[in-house]
Amino acid sequence: MERRVLKTSSTFSPEAIDAIQERAKLGRYMIRGYGALRNVPRFDDLLFLTASLTRLPLEGYREKCTTKIVLGTRHAKRPMELEIPITIAGMSFGALSRNAKVGLGKAATLLGTSTTTGDGGMLADEREASTKLVYQCLPSRYGFNPRDLKKADAIEIVIGQGAKPGGGGLLLGQKVNQVVAGMRTLPEGVDQRSPCRHPDWIGPDDLRIKIEELREATDWEIPIYVKMGATRVKDDVKLAVKSGADVIVLDGMEGGTAATQSIFQEHSGIPTLPALVQAVEALQEIGVYGQVQLVISGGIRSGPDVAKALALGADAVSIGTASLIAMGCNKPIYLEDYQKLGTEPHHCHHCHTGLCPVGIATQDEALMERLPIEQATIHVANYLQALVMEVQSLARACGKSDVHNLEREDLVALTLEASAMAKLPLAGTDFIMGR
Amino acid sequence: MKEPSVSEQTIVHEVTLDCAPLSTREINQQLKALAAEGLQTINILNPAGRHNLAVGVTEPVKIQFQGPVGSYCGGLAENVNLEIFGACGWSLGENLMLGDILVHGHASSNAGASAHGGTIRILGNAGPRAGISLKGATLLVTGNVGYGAAFMMQQGCLIVCGNVGPNLADSIYDGSIFVGGAVDSLGADARFEPLSEADWNLLTRELAAVGLVAQDYDFKKVVCAKELYHFKAKDWAKWKDAY
Repeated sequence: MERRVLKTSSTFSPEAIDAIQERAKLGRYMIRGYGALRNVPRFDDLLFLTASLTRLPLEGYREKCTTKIVLGTRHAKRPMELEIPITIAGMSFGALSRNAKVGLGKAATLLGTSTTTGDGGMLADEREASTKLVYQCLPSRYGFNPRDLKKADAIEIVIGQGAKPGGGGLLLGQKVNQVVAGMRTLPEGVDQRSPCRHPDWIGPDDLRIKIEELREATDWEIPIYVKMGATRVKDDVKLAVKSGADVIVLDGMEGGTAATQSIFQEHSGIPTLPALVQAVEALQEIGVYGQVQLVISGGIRSGPDVAKALALGADAVSIGTASLIAMGCNKPIYLEDYQKLGTEPHHCHHCHTGLCPVGIATQDEALMERLPIEQATIHVANYLQALVMEVQSLARACGKSDVHNLEREDLVALTLEASAMAKLPLAGTDFIMGR
Repeated sequence: MKEPSVSEQTIVHEVTLDCAPLSTREINQQLKALAAEGLQTINILNPAGRHNLAVGVTEPVKIQFQGPVGSYCGGLAENVNLEIFGACGWSLGENLMLGDILVHGHASSNAGASAHGGTIRILGNAGPRAGISLKGATLLVTGNVGYGAAFMMQQGCLIVCGNVGPNLADSIYDGSIFVGGAVDSLGADARFEPLSEADWNLLTRELAAVGLVAQDYDFKKVVCAKELYHFKAKDWAKWKDAY
């Protein structure tokens, strides 16, 4: 029999064909959880130039290498003091189960770092579990109230998210049970929209007044972060600083979500790597670098990711999806439940269905029982600890006694794209793409 | 020791605060401190359109502003009783949890934005987006309101005695809206509904509180049509402008 090589169209690839036929079936855009599936230039495309003869390294895991960071030093009487430069990103109770939220809080507490609420307000159990809790002020204001505001250790005004900048949010009805609906003042079971604009202010001049309102309501005690999805980073960062932000939280397009239109995940925003570089430049250009802290998020997975972010100028990173994976997201257990969703472990992005096989992104009591809080806590705490040890290892190898002493000079780029975006020399050359 | 007379007790429970020499921080600090001490009434002079006055006050206290206030007056407050003799800036009573706000004048954009509880009464007009994201409070406007009123309203009641601008109640989830004048247009998933006896009783009660008679108006009721509650976009005509 003659052997034939099947030809695949690059334009109408199998994925493109599936997507067309899915649209033809649904009559609407596709909705899913997780972040961008496409490959983008990322921290993997950078390498450390660790010490040799020209730089003196520190001993691997014995010599002191500090990790503390203070966020919100600009105006707050009580800035956020963190033991490690890794925080837990805002993820809502509603999108996540109670057990997941409490596990994140307990793990963050064990490591001396902060966790963040999310759309839908502050869960009492989450507040109790977290010694350092950032209270998000989102466009929906679901569950937002002055009582919880006064219990917060910081406020994060959410302008947008890396997975869907400008796109608002969704929580499909299967997750809007009685408790979630009650917290959000919504009818039970409704497919809920989180608005893309705040109800009470529109532009940066209004934001300045809004920030003053939050400061007055909290007696200028706690810092105010402004979180944005990475798009026009330089202008956005400068405007947020002008509006009074103490901390900029910038979320690149690799950032996750519980549900949004997949077109946003794949076709909006810019990757975390160039977003970070532009944000640092913006802060430097207006002379506030070091006064206004920068937290970067979106696709952070490993100690090297964290270390590279710090070397490029971030004060801390924030992790969301990776902390859920540490808990067991996409773990190869309960295989039949993955298959019921039409997926497999390592490929699941079905957070929006509320049928999370491992009990993380669900409000179903039976599924939630698959995630004991103690187990979630230990796994996330272990993961955070491992990240910190990896960052310290790289910092020591670069001769730094504090992880924040990592610097751009410690890095080179492995690809032309990364060289252009990070403005770093291509490995083994003096060539910086675009310079 | 002689017991204080009723008039003396009243004097003890009232304080006048002049904003002119004070920073916003100082004004709010003093308001909170006085409210915490149990002062019943605080009279504010020279507010001069300043933003963020009486923000985050959660003690039961009556505060009277003798002049116009800026944005966010009474924002993030609970249990307060505010009376404003003048106009208001943006986002009056934003996220109010409980209490009463009475405005003798006009209010700008976003009046009552995301207010969870209490009653806000505006004896004048309100700008665009009045009652946006309303979560349970009652917002009464005796004059007209602009476009986008009650956008994404979740619960509560918006009463407008005059006319409303375009896109009233766009993407509303729940709650009731009553309009005594003309409705320019409804937003996505909003519909008219006949008024019930209970509705007229509510309107009679709410309007009587500001010296008006409900029956003098041709009230129309707007509620959520609940056709976009679930994300089924097969009916293109409904969804094309909605999402």
